[in-house]
Amino acid sequence: MDFFLQMIFSGLSVGAVYALIALGLNLTFWTTRVLNFGQGSVLMIAAMLTAVMIGSGLNMLLAILISLAVAGAVLIISEIVAIRPLLKVSGSMGWVVSTLGLGIFLQGVASLAFGTQAVAFPDVLFSSSASVQLFGAWVSMQYIAVFMISVLIVGLMELFLRYSTWGYGVRAVAHDPDLASLMGIPVRKVVLYSFMFSGLLAGVAGILVSQISGTVDPGFGLHLLILAFIAAVVGGMGSATGALIAGLALGVLEKLIAGYYSPAAAHMVAFVLLVAVLAIRPQGLLGKKEMVKV
Amino acid sequence: MKRQNKTVTFLVMAALGLSAVAMIAVPAMAESDTIKIGMTSALTGPYNEFGEGNRRAVELAIKEWNERGGINGKEIELAMLLDDQLNPDRAVQNMRRILDNPEIVGIIGPAGSGPTLAVIDMAEADGRPYMNPIAQTPMVTYPDGTGTTPRRNIFSFALQNDVEATAMGQHLVENFQRVGVVHESTAYGVTGLDYLTEAMKEAGGDGPVASDSYNQGAQDMTAQVARMNRADVDAVAAVGLGRDLAVLRRTMARLNVNVPLIASNGALGQPFQDGAGELVEGVQGTMIGAFGQRPMREATQDFVDAYKAEYGVDRWWGNDEQNPQLFMAISVSNGYDAANILFEGIRRAESTDPDAIIEGIESIRDYEGVNAVYNFSSDRHHAIEANGVEVFQYVKRGDDYPLVPVGEL
Repeated sequence: MDFFLQMIFSGLSVGAVYALIALGLNLTFWTTRVLNFGQGSVLMIAAMLTAVMIGSGLNMLLAILISLAVAGAVLIISEIVAIRPLLKVSGSMGWVVSTLGLGIFLQGVASLAFGTQAVAFPDVLFSSSASVQLFGAWVSMQYIAVFMISVLIVGLMELFLRYSTWGYGVRAVAHDPDLASLMGIPVRKVVLYSFMFSGLLAGVAGILVSQISGTVDPGFGLHLLILAFIAAVVGGMGSATGALIAGLALGVLEKLIAGYYSPAAAHMVAFVLLVAVLAIRPQGLLGKKEMVKV
Repeated sequence: MKRQNKTVTFLVMAALGLSAVAMIAVPAMAESDTIKIGMTSALTGPYNEFGEGNRRAVELAIKEWNERGGINGKEIELAMLLDDQLNPDRAVQNMRRILDNPEIVGIIGPAGSGPTLAVIDMAEADGRPYMNPIAQTPMVTYPDGTGTTPRRNIFSFALQNDVEATAMGQHLVENFQRVGVVHESTAYGVTGLDYLTEAMKEAGGDGPVASDSYNQGAQDMTAQVARMNRADVDAVAAVGLGRDLAVLRRTMARLNVNVPLIASNGALGQPFQDGAGELVEGVQGTMIGAFGQRPMREATQDFVDAYKAEYGVDRWWGNDEQNPQLFMAISVSNGYDAANILFEGIRRAESTDPDAIIEGIESIRDYEGVNAVYNFSSDRHHAIEANGVEVFQYVKRGDDYPLVPVGEL
């Protein structure tokens, strides 16, 4: 039983991080119909900055706040430099290449500034040895903290999007940006804010995952981005609750397959899940069918 | 006008003729002036820990030989130094460029098994002496396994997988009953498991009771560690890179799995120490013992002094100003020994003919290298044996965690 619980708890922790990143992808997708393929590098930049600043003696909280601010700013700059110019061309898919290119550029910047080797990430939340026994199973305090923080943020974002004025704005822009503009909604500002929040979510996710792995390097983030993207699609693009459910399910399934069958087989889980959901319910678990009138 | 044309034609012909002479003459002159070496390695990128360390070592060896008058009166020159970032495709391109240069006398190969296996057949077909400083796979030197006929022109200074497994296997069998193995999913990790299993059986044990793999760069190994725990192991043996081994150690701590971790040489390097922090305490790892001996052998001490004088206390040296890290044996001094043996072979050959150099290297006996005392022959092209490998353990002393030979604990 304790083996089963260990798989469940670690799966929930990892899955909650997938959900957090997926929510960031969703935010920018809602407002611009663009998927930011450079998001993995934003995770890395925030984590690496945090590690380097704490390592150089800066106050931990201050280092985290600065890193998150940088992550938010990077996403705003991405929108201005790599996305908006390409969206002006009707039907252009150039943003796929430009966001991917921006991610690679950020990796290069990190390599230049901090070196290509992995940087040690300090214990921000708890130490690796801090564990508690739950129902007989040893569970890491880091897993519990990562899970709780991630779920809390996703929950708050969902409430914010549903009930705040800004949330209404996001949904209006997602539905029809031209109509939203005619209704007096500052579309441009809503888009930029959505990118900023997406950057903040990526930054938090990067810091939380680095806490688990203990190091961060310029190549960090790409693997997580792929899994988060799958969580977003499986949950239904545009649904925060869907991203949370899919992220948690993906994390738990991965760990259960790895634990009971083989760790090598766990890597297939995400892709099998993706193909299955796309075949049975293309709009995702909680996504809405889109009707296109021609 | 016609006369003017004739003059121009003459001048053009003369210029072309001179250029042709110059094109022929320049390489011939250069060949007679210096002994040119070609090298491809991971000089940049995430694995430059090995490649850049080897570059420093090779350049130090060249400097020392040249200060002593070169080889038979000729200066040595690192004429081609190319960066492959441990990428097999790039290593193949680099090796093609090196082999296409007829002036290159000897080659120092890439810093890992992947790129080395990608270039080794072309290097063997070329026939010029090739030194393998790092790639641990025995196939690089012995296509049919250690003990069989080596590739004619390939010499290895790496800590071969099978040699490391022999030392680790013996230690595991002597000290533990139920060993589980966690290894990376690359060729290095998979063959590492096979060699370790074989070595444990040869040492009189039963082989591992459980084994699991992970992908390089994994951020969590809960499943692997929990499976080891479920198999009731009394030790976890691991084959992988330092950063991943740190994730393994952290996961063991999270799940309160308190059996010893005995790992391959990656656990003795900086990335593991950075990633695992104070959790390094008690972790054991296998490594070439040269830098752990006190006093060091004379050749080792000379290298240590020369390196410190040339490069100071850098990342390759490690954090302890007085003592170089053990990891230098596979990131720096292996390259130094590889270059020195190549130069010694050329000196003995008194020629740059590949066959003569190979025979020169094969005639080397009792050569005092940094990592070991070397003996080569036509059947033996690898440098490090299991008796040169030791098991070390991190022990806590004040705020530091120095590595101590297990035999001295």
